[in-house]
Amino acid sequence: MKEKSDGEQQKFCGNCGNHAAYEYPNKIFCSMLFCKGKNPIVETLWCCEYWNPSSQECYCIKEALKNKTNK
Amino acid sequence: MRREDFLTEPVKHIKINGKLTVDQLVQQFKNAGSFGAGRLATACDIYERMLRDKECTIFLSLAGAVVPAGLRMLIADITRKRLIDVIVSTGANLVHDTIEALGGHHYKGHSAVDDWLLYKYHIYRIYDVFVPEEDFSRLDYKVAEMYEEIAAERNGESLSSREFAWELGKRLNDPNSILRAAYEAKVPIFLPAVRDSEFGFIHWLHAVKENARSKLVLDAFKDVPEIVEICRDSPKNGMIVIGGGAPRNTVQSAALATKKGMDYAIVVTMDRPETGGLSGSTLSETVSWGKVKSKADKVMVIADAMIVFPIIVASAIERLGENFDRAAYKIGKMLEGEI
Repeated sequence: MKEKSDGEQQKFCGNCGNHAAYEYPNKIFCSMLFCKGKNPIVETLWCCEYWNPSSQECYCIKEALKNKTNK
Repeated sequence: MRREDFLTEPVKHIKINGKLTVDQLVQQFKNAGSFGAGRLATACDIYERMLRDKECTIFLSLAGAVVPAGLRMLIADITRKRLIDVIVSTGANLVHDTIEALGGHHYKGHSAVDDWLLYKYHIYRIYDVFVPEEDFSRLDYKVAEMYEEIAAERNGESLSSREFAWELGKRLNDPNSILRAAYEAKVPIFLPAVRDSEFGFIHWLHAVKENARSKLVLDAFKDVPEIVEICRDSPKNGMIVIGGGAPRNTVQSAALATKKGMDYAIVVTMDRPETGGLSGSTLSETVSWGKVKSKADKVMVIADAMIVFPIIVASAIERLGENFDRAAYKIGKMLEGEI
């Protein structure tokens, strides 16, 4: 997972433009990984080199972080 | 006409005496004979006549989100019972059928909801029905795998949308699925706008996938000779149209191409004719094209299909009896090898 730097949005699969809910909020379906022939089901709080910003925010990260804290 | 010719049959007022079956209520509508009630009763009579006519092939045209809204099992049942012979549908209705076949659900929601909140929760809205995005993700993942398998089996040979629908039906195990029922009952399903649905976007995922064994090729024009032949070979043709759009046009165009015209027609829509759009076009307008015969047994019901269609089917089944065995008309020589 890439670290957040000053003034930069922290990068997660859950705020990447390639994400769709799979097991909301913890797992997402990544269309980019699918097209690359890799396992497309990844953790919401994961990130990879194909990250690109999502055009609109959603609750994936917020709720996945909440679930992680509650565990 | 003389004055008295206009005043032959008085309206009989609806009387509810205790419990009524669906068809008993329809008979009350028929006695009143007016507005939507009268048209609905006429639609029930026409469907009964279509079913009793051993020479009639019945086309069911589906547009509008009737599958996510709750008509899925009804359509699967009448497909299995062969109370229709051919389905022509939007791709979207069968996408939603597949979503449920793969374990997904549609949820009762509300139209007065914060759509931005739904977006943030990854929930899609179809008027007052909600669908979680994960059901679409599972659909994308599983159906893309099916595409790859079908493509490998076809080895580069293209499919018609009818073959595509049966290939999907073959791979779904849910007995309540329309695609599964159609595959088992060998009822052709044509999807004239298949690309304009999630099936099209799944193809994009499948086509750009690296290391894919082979690519699925769907040829929309292959459908045309198949549906035209079904229409041409049938002594009589009838259509039940829910909504309109590309499915209605596909059915009517088959009747036009064969110069036969529909012998029976029921259209259930909420659309208006003034825009010139097909979904609201009157059956009188279709007569001008030769798509429906001028003397056809026909009615247009301006109503919500979610209310009307189950009543039409329930009324027909009640009249014909549960054991009514409709000798399905043998459709299309072109499909003989597969049916």
